[in-house]
Amino acid sequence: MPASAATLAFLRDVRVFEAFADPDLAAVADRLRERALRRRQVLFREGDQGDEMFIVRQGTILISKAVTGKVEQVLVRVEPADFFGEMSLFDGSPRSATAQAETDVELLILGRENLQSLTETNPSAAAAFFYAMVQVFMERLRRSTQQVAEATRWGLEATGLDVETR
Amino acid sequence: MTEQPAPAKLELLVRRDDDEDFELRQVASVVGYLNSRPRRVESYEISELRSRVAGSPGFVLKNTTTDRFLLLSAHERFLWDQMNGATSLQEIATAYVLQYGEFDFDIIPSLLRKLQRAQLLTFEPRSRLRQALARNRDRRIVKAIELALTALERIRIASTNVHGFFQRLYRYGGFLLFTPAAIVACVGLALVGAGAAVLLFREMHDVLEGFGGRAMLGIVTVKLLFFGSVALHQFAHGLACIHYRRRVREFGFTFLHGFVPTFYVDVTDIFMASRRARVVTAVTGALVHLVLGGVAFIVAAQAPAGSFTQAFAAASGIIQWQALVIALYPFCFIEMDGYHVLVDVLGVPTLKHDALAYVKGLLNGSARVRLGREEGLWVGYVVLSTLSVAAFIAFNVWIIVSATS
Repeated sequence: MPASAATLAFLRDVRVFEAFADPDLAAVADRLRERALRRRQVLFREGDQGDEMFIVRQGTILISKAVTGKVEQVLVRVEPADFFGEMSLFDGSPRSATAQAETDVELLILGRENLQSLTETNPSAAAAFFYAMVQVFMERLRRSTQQVAEATRWGLEATGLDVETR
Repeated sequence: MTEQPAPAKLELLVRRDDDEDFELRQVASVVGYLNSRPRRVESYEISELRSRVAGSPGFVLKNTTTDRFLLLSAHERFLWDQMNGATSLQEIATAYVLQYGEFDFDIIPSLLRKLQRAQLLTFEPRSRLRQALARNRDRRIVKAIELALTALERIRIASTNVHGFFQRLYRYGGFLLFTPAAIVACVGLALVGAGAAVLLFREMHDVLEGFGGRAMLGIVTVKLLFFGSVALHQFAHGLACIHYRRRVREFGFTFLHGFVPTFYVDVTDIFMASRRARVVTAVTGALVHLVLGGVAFIVAAQAPAGSFTQAFAAASGIIQWQALVIALYPFCFIEMDGYHVLVDVLGVPTLKHDALAYVKGLLNGSARVRLGREEGLWVGYVVLSTLSVAAFIAFNVWIIVSATS
């Protein structure tokens, strides 16, 4: 079924589709599936198998990683027009974190098979997609590095550990 | 000049039992800092260093493992003695204020830095009980206890924006509690209430028969009503704090130690006031039970003999005055108002902790019997507290048996 004008307009705001020409974007939009989550519904858990990435159309998704017992660290809040789950899309590895709806959420889903068919039928669109994805990966790597530094700072401040003059 | 960054925060997601439900908590590093429990190393020596020049003595602290030395002031020596791995930094700071009547905001962090540099300090986790429970989580009963404690600890309804409320409460009538007329009224009610209690006590069996076949229901209802008076107790503490122009930081409801439901008020700002202010603030809350108990006994004495009203009022009076005794009586292993007054007057803020550690050492043979003033105080505290708790339990058993038989 052809994607609606609203979906196409929304995809224009999604980072990885910014460089797409209109026909390419329409081709991608036709391959996306929709899914709704109610507030607090778990989409997937850390360790689950997966081969899809998700684009948040509406609402907020919490991405968290288990720390101890029932406690998880919130890694990021995924807001509308942002996406997550792309690691499993590429390498098919188990989910590295848990995704859960913080509010009622509407998602668009891109599966690995659809990405492969896009690569075969529309290489230029696929290239734009991968180029944008690499940029996003680099940004996320920087953010992860920042999070490690913040967690280390938390530990030092919480214990009052004096490492400057030791 | 480089601007100091804000304290680091972690955002944590804590799952509930139904797995999808969760709670988000932001934990600032300062919370971890205040709850950390520094423990001094085992291998150290400390000796006094008298100086002809300096007025107060200094101390030389030696790490016998690394042979590193550190010079401590008397105040730092006091803090060092508190760093036993069981006392949190927040409690250590409170002990410091009680001991010296002032607080130096730099002394604890700078001492921690010095001690860490000399490798004289380690840090302990927040709760040993929770650590022990976590270690044995594979046992079903332990897991159930842990879950129950966790669930109860989560229940905390509090506001940190209550100072204005207490100020208004004080302005619109609360100040009357701190007038000579209030003291006279309090003493009068207590004396008349005590007279009524003596009269009732002679016929206690008949009085409690007023519950009829609803003895347990009556006692439970009395306990629930008493719970309301605990809130009044905390209000009185807050008003006293305002009376001495100090700040009420927080008021709320929580489960003490994870299982005792209670209201609480944070009046720790009173530590910055005079000792008289601290004692008045501590005692004022307990006087709520004196007044309510007195009124209850007067009502019981006036009620028809053997009626439910009489039994209900008499039981309320007993519970209120029990609460008064528990709050003011310092020898019961619980750090209530009377205990805080006692340690304030004696100048030994860690009395309970030191006393229990010493007696435990005597019982397991790791400590030797010594005949000093401190040791006498410690043994006296433990013996009196043990006897008092036993007497309290016996009295309550007697009340319940009398009411139900």
